[in-house]
Parts: sequence; structure tokens; C-alpha cells
Amino acid sequence: MGADGLLGAFEEQVLLAVIRTAGDAYGMEVRREIERTSERDVAIGAVYATLDRLEAKGLVTSARPRGDPSRRIFTITRGGLSSLAATRAVRERLWHGVNLARLGTEPR
Amino acid sequence: MTPRPHPRRGLPRLPAALLRGWTPRAERSELLAELTSEYAARRSRQGRAGAGIWLWRQVLGSLPALIRRSWWRGWTGFEPQANRMQPGGTPMESWIMDMRYAARRLRTRPTYALLAILTLALGVGGTAAIFSLVRGLLLEPLPYADEQNLAVFWNQFDWSEAEYLFLKPQVPGFKAFAAWRPADVTLELPGAPARLLHGVASSANLFDVLGAPPAMGRAFQADEDRVGAENIVVLSHAMWRQLGSDPAILGRRIKMAGVSSTVVGVMPAGFWFPDPDVQVWFPAAMNPQSRSGQYSLIGRLPPGRSIETMGGTLSQITGLLGGQFQYSAQWDKTRNARLTPVREYLLGSLRPGLLATAAAMGLILLIACANVAALMLGQVDGRAGELAVRSALGASRRRLMQQLVAEAAMVGMLAGVVGAGLAALGFRVLVAMLPLGAWASAAHIDWSLFALAILIALAAAVGIATVPVVSLWRGDVRGRLTRVRSASTGGSGRMEGGLVVAEVALAVLMAAGAALLIRSVTKLYAIDPGIDTHAVAVVDITMPVLMPMEQRRQTLRELLEATRALPGVRSASAVQKLPLRGSGDNWGLSIEGHPELPPSTTAFRVVAPRYFETMGFRLVAGRTFDATDRPEGERGVVINEALARHYFGGENPIGRRIGTFDSLDRVIGVVGNASEAKLTDSAMSTRYMLYDQTPYVPSSHSIVLRLDRPGMAPGVLSAAQRTIHRMAPTVAVQELTTMDRVFALAVGPARQVMGLLAVLTALAMLLGAIGVYGVISHFVNRRMRDWGIRMALGLAPRRVIGQVVGRGVALVAVGAVIGAAGAFVGSRLLSSLLYGVRAGDPLSLALATFALLLAGAVAAYAPAHRASRVDPATVLREQ
Repeated sequence: MGADGLLGAFEEQVLLAVIRTAGDAYGMEVRREIERTSERDVAIGAVYATLDRLEAKGLVTSARPRGDPSRRIFTITRGGLSSLAATRAVRERLWHGVNLARLGTEPR
Repeated sequence: MTPRPHPRRGLPRLPAALLRGWTPRAERSELLAELTSEYAARRSRQGRAGAGIWLWRQVLGSLPALIRRSWWRGWTGFEPQANRMQPGGTPMESWIMDMRYAARRLRTRPTYALLAILTLALGVGGTAAIFSLVRGLLLEPLPYADEQNLAVFWNQFDWSEAEYLFLKPQVPGFKAFAAWRPADVTLELPGAPARLLHGVASSANLFDVLGAPPAMGRAFQADEDRVGAENIVVLSHAMWRQLGSDPAILGRRIKMAGVSSTVVGVMPAGFWFPDPDVQVWFPAAMNPQSRSGQYSLIGRLPPGRSIETMGGTLSQITGLLGGQFQYSAQWDKTRNARLTPVREYLLGSLRPGLLATAAAMGLILLIACANVAALMLGQVDGRAGELAVRSALGASRRRLMQQLVAEAAMVGMLAGVVGAGLAALGFRVLVAMLPLGAWASAAHIDWSLFALAILIALAAAVGIATVPVVSLWRGDVRGRLTRVRSASTGGSGRMEGGLVVAEVALAVLMAAGAALLIRSVTKLYAIDPGIDTHAVAVVDITMPVLMPMEQRRQTLRELLEATRALPGVRSASAVQKLPLRGSGDNWGLSIEGHPELPPSTTAFRVVAPRYFETMGFRLVAGRTFDATDRPEGERGVVINEALARHYFGGENPIGRRIGTFDSLDRVIGVVGNASEAKLTDSAMSTRYMLYDQTPYVPSSHSIVLRLDRPGMAPGVLSAAQRTIHRMAPTVAVQELTTMDRVFALAVGPARQVMGLLAVLTALAMLLGAIGVYGVISHFVNRRMRDWGIRMALGLAPRRVIGQVVGRGVALVAVGAVIGAAGAFVGSRLLSSLLYGVRAGDPLSLALATFALLLAGAVAAYAPAHRASRVDPATVLREQ
């Protein structure tokens, strides 16, 4: 997240993965979710470090479920949601009017 | 959800260990369990190799992020919500936290921090500087092949060409034998005044024996050292660079010693023999008939032979010499011949000064460490409350100690950085202050000095940290929580006291060493050299070897006339060899009317008119040389008191005739004894004759100028140099100096080492005093309540001061006794630098002890004064 409150690319991916795996969002599962959707390898350490940073900024919280205290389960906070929304809005404004097909670089 | 096997089972050990080490405790089992199950799944899908590659990619990809996270958590202190029941991160995390805490603590206690860092930095800087110097000068390998097989064969009278040539083909026990002698030569380059080069004349096989081939060109060839061989020269690397670093210099001719010589080789950078000042080597013209010569011999032993086992060989060699040559009892070279390893022969003179300084620096470092340890111990005591609370809240003892170690490491690192800077400064100072001679130019700073400083500082920090850590380990931390509030005395202070005792002992050790040297040098300065060294400037000149005798005489006469006319010069004269510069020529002596006198020699000096007046000799009887002593008239001789007493006994020598050359010369005067050889030598029988009246005129001379004031020396010397260059361009000016300086050099290395050791001792005493001050302050603060109560009960403030200072002095006294005992043993290190005092000199020990006691009393007075002014009411209310 930069000084403007927007998320970095990997932070955005991690936050989205936390939402998609809601309820079972522990580090390894978040990693798998990103791997599944992006089809590339993600190092688990990077996911842990990013989740820590997001928690320090108050964008996610972590807790241990009563039945399985070995897992640290993440939940997105209200602040996390608004950061995602702001990041997405900026991105869409930037994409507005950009047509990659016309520039000939859109993958077929 | 995948079934979770046991976390350890199934995961290769190394990647698992790497991840475990860099994951907080609370998150380890989750991570390892997940990785294990995914690894197992991949293994059954892709095989062992595929799964292994995947695992390693995970681990290597994760480590940088995990290490960064550890650092970040340690730095910010972040602890996630989910881990609140099981806090604590990786080891690095806690270290970073402790480092930050240590930094904060040091920042809020600037006096303590600065004192600790500067104290340690002084010790570290000095030690790093001297050890880097010692390493560079004493521990570097010599630039010769297999130096352990090289031995120098020498005696106090040196060897002649005849002796060398006799020994060379048949010397037992050696593979090869080379001869060399110092031979400074003039160099004349077109368009520049002549200058003097430090040179060595040697036998042709010198470089072969040394096993040191030239970097360019060739060394000498077998018969290039016979009489009549072509003049060739090998240059040092530095000399080659001075001549323009031209690779085409080989084969070029340069005018050396008045003759044209061909440059045949250039030695590699870093090569030196026998000292780093030598610029040229050339073959000596070896004459088998020549019984003169000042050669030293260096031999190479066959591999496997050691110098220690050469005793028999030595007597074999001297036996051969004794069979071939006739030696008089006085000059018997077979009796005092020695074989010395080349390293000891060349570098032995550097060792005492360097080692004494290294020992002193090591002591300063130890004192500094004890000081900082005592300071930290005081801090620990002051923090007893904080430590007890932390311990009660669950901090393990290991964690509390880690915090202390972190603080020590922080102090150590900062001291290392400051110390490295001090070391770089100190290195220059040491090179200037130590008696290194030609080696001063060879000493240089390199990066290792900085690495050394940091290493020493960290080692010192570890040593320092053990003191408070041990104190903490032994003490009952939680028990202090209660004591801090109620009891008046926390801890016995025995450990602090012990540190100060050690510090004082070390300081006494150094002070005793310095006192010995000071007494020794004072004694040397108290010797009367027999001349007035005040306000005499000296110009050493060398004339080309090929200059004819008559021209030498004429040139010298003209130069003396010209320099006498320089402003500020009262009188000018010249001599072939100055007093205080070691023995010079000895010539045979006969006395008219005493044919029974056994053949003997005395020192012989050729001088110019007004020599005795210029140098301040005392005239005892008769007269000195004057205008009536003409070249064509009767030769006059001036003798000194020693000669008069030894050869004439009670008779009056004036008017008697003695023989030096072919005829008999009249004694015209007797002058007082001067130190014609070394300062500490007893008076030598010496006679003086005029240049104008001797058939032989040497090629080097010292022009001596008595000045109106000593401060004029620099101006007069440079004017004299210009005059000589202008009037006699082929004459090289070798050195410009003053008689005071010559005297200081004659006093020798002890003077320089003394200066350094005195400075270091002052430093050690200062550190010792700071240590006493710190410990006594702490002692007083801890017992403020005691003092308050006692004073409320009627103890006089004067008695309080007495008691506190008494404690300081008692600590110092114990340390001083231990130190004096150590000094008694340790001062033998200095014995080669001492003159007129024994290594265990009681007066020096007493002086050192007294100085430390005084420093201790002064240092204890300030806190004592504070204790005496305490207001009982205030102190008692505070509790």
C-alpha cells in the first residue's frame, strides 16, 4: 500500500484471495487460491509476510478458530474492503478508453 | 481440508529446518503441516524429484520474505492478534528488538554511552593500529625464497673481500654464500644536482642466494664481481618509478658514483634487502688481496637443515678462517663470529619497541574493557528494578541476558567504528613515533586494519558482556524486586571492585614500564657527550669516488668558505666522521721513543680548521689547529684526554711526536673526550689531523656550522644546500640535520619508545581514574541512605570523605600491589631498551604505585564530597 492508501499488486491479490476463501483463509489456502487463479507459483513466505503487513495496517485481522488453534485464519476488515474498492476504482479509471486490441498487443 | 500428517514426518530435514528457524513459534506447526501434506501429495503425483524441486523453490522463494518479516517485526514490535496467547518470533526478531531497546537506552544515557564507547574505542583503535603495524613488519614473510634457510654470518668487525673469497668455494654446511656491504652512491642525472642513493655492493650471487629474481631484466652473472668487470646496476622498484617507470630502461646507462653504469634489472615491488631504503644494488669488485672491507655474509642452508643445528658448522668455518688468516688477539674474528637467522638479523632491532608498544596497547584495551564492564555492571545494578519486573512478567533469564549482550554488542559495534577511525590516525602517529628507521616507509595501512578494529571491538564486547551476565546469573533477579524498595544496599559491589583492582594493576604495570624508560632515557641524556650540541647545524655530503684527493681537498675548502659566509653562521668546519654516530676509522699508532709499545690502533678523525671551536670541544692543553698549520709545514696532531692518559700516562704529551702515516707528527694540543663512537661507550682514545696535512681525504664529510641561534638551523641548512649544489654539482648532499638531532638519535630507540609509552601510560592512568571514579560514585549512590542515617546520628562529613576516599585508595592499593608484582616480571620485555637501570628497578615501581594511588584518591574525592554533603532528611524521605 502506497502513501495514497492504494494497494500494491500482490497485496491486492492476497486480499482478494482472503475474500474468496472466506472462512478458511489461512496462509497456505490463500497461497493455493492465488496459484489456482493466476496459474503461477507463489512462495508461501511472501504470502505470510504480506498478510502480516496487511494486518499491521488494519486491512485484515487474524484469529485462531476454537476447534483448530494451529491455524491463523484471516478476515478482511472494513478498511480492507474500502482499500480494495479504492484501488479498483483507480485502476478502472486508468483502463477507461484503453483498447489493447486496437494496439495489437491483446493476446488472442 | 487435507488430512494433516505429523509435521516432521515426510519433509526433508534441511528445508524444514530453514523454514522453522525463520517462522514465529505460533505459526510453525501450521506452515510445516501444510507444506508436508502438499509435499506428500506432489510426491505421489510427480515423484520424489519433482516434489523436491517444488519444495526447494518454495523455501528459497520464501526465505527472503520471511527474513524481511522477522526484521520488520523486530523493528516495529508487531505481534498479530492471533498470536497473543503464544507470543515470540524468530531469534532474529528478539535480537532486533533488543538492539533497538539498547539503542534507545544508550540515547537516553548519553554520558554513560559516550564514556563506554570512547573508552573502548581508544583501546580498540590503539590495539588495531599496533597489531596492524606488527603484522606488516614482523609477521609478513620476507621477500626471499624459503627464508628459514637463510642465515647471516657476521662478526662485530665485518668480513673482508679476501675472507669472503676464501670461504666462498668451500664453506661447509651451506649451499651458497653471498657477501654484501652498504654502499651509498651519488647519482647524476642530466640537468639535476647530484643526489645520494642508498645502495648495496654485493657479490654476484646475492640474488641467487636470496632466491629473489628481478621483475624485469636479469640479476648479476657469475663473474661480474671481479675487479675490472663492467659497471652494472639493479634498481629497486621504487627507484625505477622515480626514473620514470620506463620499461625500456634495461640497457640504459646512468651516471652513478661518477661512472657510467648499465641498468640490467629491476627488482619487484615489495622486494627489499637489507632494508627498505636501499635503491640500487651493484656488484662489488672483489679483490682476493684486499684485507679491508665491511662485508656481512649471508648463506643458504640446504633444505632440511636448520640454523639451530649449525653450531658445529660455525666452529668449522672459523677454524678454516683461523688456519688461513692471522688474527691479532684484539681483532680475532674467529672468536665472536655468529650465525643468525635472516629475519632476526634484519628485523631484530624493530622488535623490542614494537612489542613493548603492543603490550602497552593490549593493556590499555584490557583496562578499557574492565572500565566498560564496570560501567555496565553499575547500569545493571541501577536497572535491578526493571529487570526484576520483566522477570516477574515472564521474561526468561536467557532473554534478560540477551538484552545485556545486545547492549554490549551495540557499544562494541559503535566503538569498533570509532576505533577504526582512531586506528587509522594512530597508525600514522605510531609510525612517526616508533624507532622504525627505514621500515617507516614500508609500513602502510590496509583494509585489514579496519576489519581488525571491528573484530577486536566485538571480541571485547563479548568479554565485557560476560561480566554483567555472570552477575545476573548468580543473582536472584526476582528477589531484587523486594530489596530494591526496602534495603539500603543492593549487591556487594565485589565484582566492580575486582574490575577496578584489575584495572589499577594493569595501569601500574604500564606506569612501571614507562618509569623505567624515563629513568633510562634521563640517564642517557645526563651523559656528557664532550661537545656542545646546541646550535650546530650539520650537512652530510658525499663526493664522487673518482674525484682525486687534491680536488676533494680543494672542493671542501671552497665549500667551507662559502658556507662560513652564510648569514647566521658563526663558524664552519668539517670532519670525516661526526661524534655520536658510531665508531669510524681506526688507524695504527706509534710513539717516538717507545719502540716497545705493542702495535695498537686508536680512533682517527680528519678535520678542517676551527673544528674544535665549532663543535665546542674543551681545550685541555696546548692549542688547536690554526693558520700556522700549513700543508707544507710540520704535521700537527690534536689528541684527546683518553689518548693522553693511556699512552703518555703522567707525562706531558705536548711537543711529543707520534706516527700515523709514514712520518712522525707533533702533538700540538689535548682536547676533552667526546663520544666519538656511541653515547654509552667509554671514552675512546682519539686523534685529530687536518685535511690539509693528511695524504688521504675520504669521500664523505660532515660540514658543521655553529649558528647564532638554534632556531636558525632550517634556514641556514637550506641555504647551505643551495650553495653546495651551485658550487659543486657533483657533490651529493646526503642529509641536513642538527647536532641536537644527532644526539637524540644516539640516545636511541628508548627515547622514542619512552615518548609513546609515557603518552599511553597517561591514558591508562586516566582510564584507571575514570574506573575508580565510576565505581566509587556507584558505591556512594547505593549507600546514600547509609550515609544519611550515619550523619543523622552524628558522623562528621569529614569522616564520610575519609571513609569513601579510603575505600577508593584501598582498591587502588590492592591493584597496585598486584600490578607491581606483574611489573617486576613483565618489565624484562624492556630490558634491551634500558640503560643504567635494572628491569625490576624498585624506584620505578614505587613511582608508578604512588602515581596510581594519587590518581585513585583524586578520583574518589568527588563522589566522597557528594556523600559528605548529603542531607539526611532528604535521603530518608526518598525511601
